[in-house]
Amino acid sequence: MRADLDIHLAAIVGGDAAAFARWLAGAEPVVRATLASFAAAVDVEVILQESLVRTWQVAPRFERDGEPNGLLRLAIRIARNLAISEVRRTKALPVELRDDADALGDDVAPPDPLLRRAIADCHGKLPARPRSALDARLAAVARDDADHASALGMSLNTFLQNVTRARALLADCLKRAGIAVEELV
Amino acid sequence: MTDDELVEQVTGAARPEPVADELRYLPAWHDLDAAGRDRAFARARVSRRLEAALDPDGLSTTARAVLARISGTLRR
Repeated sequence: MRADLDIHLAAIVGGDAAAFARWLAGAEPVVRATLASFAAAVDVEVILQESLVRTWQVAPRFERDGEPNGLLRLAIRIARNLAISEVRRTKALPVELRDDADALGDDVAPPDPLLRRAIADCHGKLPARPRSALDARLAAVARDDADHASALGMSLNTFLQNVTRARALLADCLKRAGIAVEELV
Repeated sequence: MTDDELVEQVTGAARPEPVADELRYLPAWHDLDAAGRDRAFARARVSRRLEAALDPDGLSTTARAVLARISGTLRR
């Protein structure tokens, strides 16, 4: 781990949502990674979003232990406990838990500017329909895919195929630029 | 709907909000087998990195969804 996201903690405790957004940019991929072993048993996206909301809610009562990334470690505990609770509630098959420490070694820094530019360049080269489908998701996350499809005059199936195609085209374009998307995670 | 289309739906960040603390899954998630759910998870990890790189604030759609929720909730 290269950065201490607790630099945002005081502002988060004070109710600063913009500071929480900066914390989220680094924390979200790490918390998600710790839920990998639950992917077949629970809807990880639901667990992740709920855990991050709960982290915001309990942050004012968080007490630092002197080690870096304390709020991130709390978020990971909240997420894993919630996932375990969901496995029990839904009577899903037991999961083999992976050690938190694996994901805590992940980089919490944002992508470097060169990578961001390469991804933006490839995004700009996408054909119109795949790009419009991908952009719809990026622009309005609260809307579901059926609403996006309807707004774009596509069937839901076509919309989903266009999002998949956009991602595949982005990956191909990045590969030509010497970037393997699998290495982004 | 094909398996790949279901995986794509589950890859997205849009989810129904909890009702009275009860979590609500995306219906498409229930239609996938274990392998499909793992594929959606792996695809989401890559997608969120790409989304964050395309966003001026470095935020993925998951982060945007969380921020939308906290803007409408009081801390406990």
